[in-house]
Amino acid sequence: MISFLKHLFLPRETNNYRAKILHNKSLLLFTLFFFSAGLLMSFLRTNYPQVLGTFSNISNDQLLAITNQDRQTAGLPPLSINSELSQAAQNKANDMFSKDYWAHVSPDGTTPWVFIKNTGYNYIYAGENLARGFTTPGDVVNAWMNSPSHRENMLSPKYTDVGFAVETGNLTGENTVLVVEMFGSTSFATKTVNPEQQQKSIAVAVTSPTLTPTPTLVQTSPQPNGQTLAEQKINFNQQLAATNLNQTEKTLVNGATFSVLSARVIISLFIFVLILDMIIIERKKIIRFVGHNLDHVIFLSLILLIILVLAKGSIL
Amino acid sequence: MKKTLKKHVGYYISLLSIFIVGFILTVFVSPNLDLQKIIISLTIIAYVIWGIFHHYKNHELTRRIVIEYILIGLFGLSVLFFLIEGGV
Repeated sequence: MISFLKHLFLPRETNNYRAKILHNKSLLLFTLFFFSAGLLMSFLRTNYPQVLGTFSNISNDQLLAITNQDRQTAGLPPLSINSELSQAAQNKANDMFSKDYWAHVSPDGTTPWVFIKNTGYNYIYAGENLARGFTTPGDVVNAWMNSPSHRENMLSPKYTDVGFAVETGNLTGENTVLVVEMFGSTSFATKTVNPEQQQKSIAVAVTSPTLTPTPTLVQTSPQPNGQTLAEQKINFNQQLAATNLNQTEKTLVNGATFSVLSARVIISLFIFVLILDMIIIERKKIIRFVGHNLDHVIFLSLILLIILVLAKGSIL
Repeated sequence: MKKTLKKHVGYYISLLSIFIVGFILTVFVSPNLDLQKIIISLTIIAYVIWGIFHHYKNHELTRRIVIEYILIGLFGLSVLFFLIEGGV
């Protein structure tokens, strides 16, 4: 067994002083394997999404909890989930998937404020954060917190309410998890903000440039179906939590996580074997007529970097 | 390795330049996957051509080496194809 592994990974007499996995035949086999595996993954994702699909472990409750934790650390009051903002976020996410865009403003010019207003939420301040390609709520919130403009939204004392939508789908040619976060408040902030500061925060939070002059009171009177708005909010949150739970349960293997891990391991293995091969051959002063290992190491390092870029989520 | 680097410093600077440009463009067009695919493919083709040219200029080009560079390029491409089809 050890002899076989040495034959595979180290240059020896048995493999003509070139690690077996670096032989052209082995490279051809690996190439065919990964092309076939890619086709199989594509087939499984299309035809058996319950086996292999894109899913996230991101729930609205977790996003809210982590956001409020960061606000608490900054000495700010927590945000409350608002059903209208959650509906606005959901509508925005649906619009992004249906019109296939990754931007705050849709191709037809619809701004985030339109989605918020359409749900009946009469805001004074509003903001929007977007994220895609993340698999945990911690990663999403960290990415936002590390970006000054998004952080401004997250830690703004002007906001009292928040709404989230977490959706999976194909966006600009990529199967991804999209997170939309809508902030808002229907009354003036409890913390006094001087006009200079107010002006600054509106400008920095690129996503929240609109001011509505008249504050609107939150409606607490009974609704036509006998539920108060507060009860409706609770029901809506329960529905959202159930949706997230189903998203996690319906897929056996997370295709993205699996493929990223496999790709990283195989490329790292090849880089390691190439470097080992290069060192041993140089020490033994063996002359071979093969390609330069150093070229391949640099090339595969680039591939590893590209894997990191492709696997990294992005925010807007 | 140091000898190889010293002897071929010009070639390696050109290779790194190709890769840096390819990498920056890949990051720049993110998350437009279609454009990323085109840029990555062009970078890999440039690598294969560079490798073959490098060996040709050093009078050590053989058919086996040509095939090796093509296969290494295809191998990198196949891993990225697998990654993208996996739903990243």
